[in-house]
Amino acid sequence: MEPRSKSFYVLSAFFALFVLFLYGPTLTIGVLSFQGEGGGLTFPMRGVSMYWFYDLFEQQAVGDIWGSFRRSIVLGFMVMVTTVVVSVIGGLAFRKKFAGSRILFYLIITALVIPSILVSLGVGLLFSQSGLDVHWSTSGFGAQLTWTLPFGLLIMFAVFNRFDKSYEEAARDLGASPWQTIRHVVLPIIAPSLIGVALFGFTLSYDEFARTLLTAGSYNTLPLEIYGMTTNVTSPVLYALGTLTTLFSLLIIGVFLALALLSNRRKARAGSDAGKAV
Amino acid sequence: MFMKKLLENHNVTGWLMVSPLAAVLLIFLVMPIVLIVIVSFWRATEFSIIPAFEWDNYAFLFGSPVTYTVFFNTFKYAFITWAFTLVIGFTVAYYLAFHIRSLTWQIALFLLCTIPFWTSNIIRMISWIPFLGRNGIANSTLMSWGVIDEPVEWLLFSDFAVIVAFVHLYTLFMVVPIFNTMMRIDKSLIEAARDAGANGAQILWNVIIPLTKPGIMIGTIFVVTLVMGDFITVRFMSGSQSANVGRLISNDIALLQYPSASATAIVLLTTVLITIGILLRFVDIRKEL
Amino acid sequence: MTKFTSRTGLSRRTLLKGAASTAIAAGSTTLGAPMLWAQNIKDVTIRQFGTGVSNLNDVANKVKEDLGFTLEMTALDTDSVTQRAATQPNSFDIADIEYFICKKVWAAGNMQAMDTSKIANYDKIAGTFRSGLLTPESTIAQGTAPHTVGFTSGPNGTDFVQEESGWMTLIPTIYNADTLGIRPDLIGRPIKNWSELLNPEFKGKASILDISSIGIMDMAMVVESMGEYTYPDKGNMTKEEIDLTLGIFTEAKKNGQFRAFWKSFDESVNLMASGEVVIQSMWSPAITAVKSQGIPCVYQPLEEGYRSWGGGLGISAALSGIELDAAYEYINWYLSGWVGGYLMRQGYYSAVPETSKEFMSADEWGFWYEGKAAEGDILSPTGDKLAGAGEVRDGGAFLDRMGSVVCWNSVMDENQYMVRKWNEFIAA
Repeated sequence: MEPRSKSFYVLSAFFALFVLFLYGPTLTIGVLSFQGEGGGLTFPMRGVSMYWFYDLFEQQAVGDIWGSFRRSIVLGFMVMVTTVVVSVIGGLAFRKKFAGSRILFYLIITALVIPSILVSLGVGLLFSQSGLDVHWSTSGFGAQLTWTLPFGLLIMFAVFNRFDKSYEEAARDLGASPWQTIRHVVLPIIAPSLIGVALFGFTLSYDEFARTLLTAGSYNTLPLEIYGMTTNVTSPVLYALGTLTTLFSLLIIGVFLALALLSNRRKARAGSDAGKAV
Repeated sequence: MFMKKLLENHNVTGWLMVSPLAAVLLIFLVMPIVLIVIVSFWRATEFSIIPAFEWDNYAFLFGSPVTYTVFFNTFKYAFITWAFTLVIGFTVAYYLAFHIRSLTWQIALFLLCTIPFWTSNIIRMISWIPFLGRNGIANSTLMSWGVIDEPVEWLLFSDFAVIVAFVHLYTLFMVVPIFNTMMRIDKSLIEAARDAGANGAQILWNVIIPLTKPGIMIGTIFVVTLVMGDFITVRFMSGSQSANVGRLISNDIALLQYPSASATAIVLLTTVLITIGILLRFVDIRKEL
Repeated sequence: MTKFTSRTGLSRRTLLKGAASTAIAAGSTTLGAPMLWAQNIKDVTIRQFGTGVSNLNDVANKVKEDLGFTLEMTALDTDSVTQRAATQPNSFDIADIEYFICKKVWAAGNMQAMDTSKIANYDKIAGTFRSGLLTPESTIAQGTAPHTVGFTSGPNGTDFVQEESGWMTLIPTIYNADTLGIRPDLIGRPIKNWSELLNPEFKGKASILDISSIGIMDMAMVVESMGEYTYPDKGNMTKEEIDLTLGIFTEAKKNGQFRAFWKSFDESVNLMASGEVVIQSMWSPAITAVKSQGIPCVYQPLEEGYRSWGGGLGISAALSGIELDAAYEYINWYLSGWVGGYLMRQGYYSAVPETSKEFMSADEWGFWYEGKAAEGDILSPTGDKLAGAGEVRDGGAFLDRMGSVVCWNSVMDENQYMVRKWNEFIAA
């Protein structure tokens, strides 16, 4: 191991500051979620208590947190699964240049860069002009896909660009059918990236606001519900919710890491080095 | 027999495989945009829109001085945010790519950076007030360190606050592509440069930066389009005192003035696409992924 | 329509309310419903949406208890409410909206007129909503007064008529008189006029709300108070008047008069509670929210008078059959007093004060309606202390407050022009 150069420490300090900056609001939320009973959304702190955490689980004066939370989770999973499946298949398709793939590619880029409010407006108009009702599982779902699919696809493109075709050739030489090649060679190799796409898809959907604003219909997703609550609610229960979601996500990531470690250990024991190719 | 032949044609299989993608894009991207274009020529009353073909909406848009102020603001925010995210993002990506040795640590640090974003955007935005406000953490800390005597007003509800929020939200979008490109730099090139006698700064300037250009371009595209399309952050962090194009659109939508919202939206979309088109000239994105 | 799954698990709040409400429920159950009706109605779900002012989960719970059917509530901000009323008729059954929103969306035809002969307490509705006159000597305030958009010509009318035609657009439920909120501890002197909002003494510490239909009225009150101009009708300005009003405020804005603008209720509370702002347009429950944090805040009665708003319930045009019957049941129940009492204990006025009186204690009635000093602690419906013994409600008695209303939240003829100019003001 080479010794660390001076710039390492400088850069580490910079990185630490950066992380602190990123966590600023999260820390503020964390501190304020322990706000005393009589306190509001800002300092000064009026006592310290776990009151708002308990309050979170009771019915609120206005708004339905758990219902919208459930909807957000369901929608997030729908988007996640769809994004992974479509991205993988799309990535596989784009490896060969088929007719019209250029146009499709530019469409994907357009979907990525289009301001979210336009998607919201357009999809909302589309449904209302054609007489269909907007609903979070149809119009909301579609609008969110226009955001997550480009991300998933771009990641898959990057992965396949670096993919070593010789593995597939070897499989073919050994007599594997295309489907077998995909199942036993390609998928295990790109599996880590798939997890990345899945995480991305879920996160982007879970926190999505602008595109769902006009396309969610009568029942709100969690971000929309919180937005609705901020128009009427002033209690730190929102902060308690924020802290809990942070802890929740720490938990999920912890689980993922544990799974990854486990599967690495299992693979090492089995003597496989799949996944190292990318 | 014919089916088999058909399926062997890789154009056909290609389209079959991307058909769900194409369908989603068609229904939820192309058709909405077409509809917005059409509606931008319609007329509106208090609560409904009437099919028509008139240029009124565009005429009003281009005739109003507010439009220009607002577009200028949009570009201003985009540019300043880009500058900051570039410097910060590049440094962070450099640190992660070249100074962190193991893959596990890289992933761990990345995840560390993404956790704050799992808390709802809205809640995080509300929390800027206790952080930057007159009685907030930032001011209190600065006062207790003796740096200032009175709370600093412009930390919140100002352009500064808007930029801070943008940088906070979007730096990671710059870090990821740059990191990606940096990881693909052949380490032997750097060794060669060092062997040829270049010091750290020279390596950075002559070897790393040119090779990272594609990543920088992609990051720029992300950040610029996200800032230009945003409307909530601007409204909230400036205390509704400042506007960008997204706000114009959202105000119109809130008041059911869909035609004028559509007209503004089309102009915004065109502007964004032109900007991206220019940026894409500098990098072939398909190759550089 | 999905079933509303109620949450099990009692909190101390529900226990307290349960005790109080069982006593009251015994007296106010629905009028002798036949068995079949009672059975069917349990399966009915009514979807209501509106601003958070009255979309309270407590009301839904009480409806389930008293009437048997399920009330699903969705709370949105003012602009989204307007949008939904106008463009998504199938997404709601009951619309809980303000009268000025009604003026905007009624002609869209998404709501049906209500037959006043089916409304039991129609005669007890405050005169403001029927003839426009609170008392026989009242003058009708400027702007979109509720009675001007309260009646329509027939069951499917999309117009407004100016007499009590027997068909109402909205059944009035709630209203209040609004003024400026101040931090007396940070200002330190009496505030008497609307013009104080633009006083350079409060530079960088003022705020106004960013909802054009309401904000423009506050602006007009300020301009008139400054002596700059007297409006023939604040609620219906000409283009020049709009330009004048917004011009004055744009200049103030450029001079840094405003700390921020607020669009949602909790933003206004935060601004006041954190001390970022010392004088601003405010809504009554925001004042109570700030007060309940122990921070002094006053809803300041001003010489020039109040701006008022009113809200009511409307029925979707798509409703029919048993759901329509359930909707009428609900509305009748709404006016029968429990909700009225609940709202009045938050500082609003019920459109049917007589029935609400039965659900308030004498002390509460004295404090909130008659403007008398409180004898004991005054608590909000959720148990927070709002005032102590000896305190008087800001502004005093109902007749003092509602009697000093000089304008209503309005939709003007030049609304689209006004909105555009408002956008320019925000962007300036």
